Amino acid sequence: MTDAEFVRAYDVVGADFTNAGRASTSIKETLKNMGLASTLVRRVAIAAYEAEMNLVMHARRGTMTLTVTPGDVTIDVQDEGPGIPDITLAMQEGYTTATPEMQEMGFGAGMGLPNIKRNTDVLEISSEVQRGTHLMMRVHVS
Amino acid sequence: MISQTHASPAPVTGAGSPAPVVATLGDIRAALEADIIWCPDLTTPVYGVVAADLMSDVLVDARPGFVLVTGLANVQVVRTAAIADLAAVVFARGKVIPPAVLELARESHLPLFRCQRSLFETAGRLYPMLSGRAGNAEGRPPA
Repeated sequence: MTDAEFVRAYDVVGADFTNAGRASTSIKETLKNMGLASTLVRRVAIAAYEAEMNLVMHARRGTMTLTVTPGDVTIDVQDEGPGIPDITLAMQEGYTTATPEMQEMGFGAGMGLPNIKRNTDVLEISSEVQRGTHLMMRVHVS
Repeated sequence: MISQTHASPAPVTGAGSPAPVVATLGDIRAALEADIIWCPDLTTPVYGVVAADLMSDVLVDARPGFVLVTGLANVQVVRTAAIADLAAVVFARGKVIPPAVLELARESHLPLFRCQRSLFETAGRLYPMLSGRAGNAEGRPPA
């Protein structure tokens, strides 16, 4: 990898379960092709996929932006949606606002945000109710 | 909702020797008398099994090279397995596989099998083979 910063953005559409996961799959392929370690690629891919599923389940639309530098892999997820009224509560395993339909897809068990935290070195969440949510997830390359 | 068993640490890229292979996809297929939906290589190594219908749990508990046994048959199962570097998916209870699932599996290079047995029995048949405990602890060879 060169010292140059690599940036790529992916549009994600809410409630589009057919394509949910495409952005994360593409992010994973991109990182693999850069020659990053498979353990790191897997951590980023899992965090990205959890975030993408959250976006598809809860928001109207959003963007995932992958930034790769020699030291870090960062994914920013910005959505337009209902926002998270209580982030502390949302970080607790098992807390969910998912509908039964979402849970039939195998998601919405209140594991997403805790699992993102588990797979990343830095996680920052900011949210405005009725506006949207921003996640910044970062994994160190070392 | 989820059960998990593995015989050895999954392989890690980088230094060190790879984990010993305790089973292959061919062994899994034979033990379950499963149909091959799509599998380009039955010699692919398997390092453990995770049985779940909740993909959130799979993302937490599965390790690279595991086989996912599930009763859920939708595209998110394939997405989840591919993201988590799993070796294959076994659909229990003779699930009908939608064409979109098969198409995505081929695209993702993810082998698929179908077993007529229940999720419980499917996982149970694999347990002695991959736990390294259940069968061996009683002096019986792995299935």
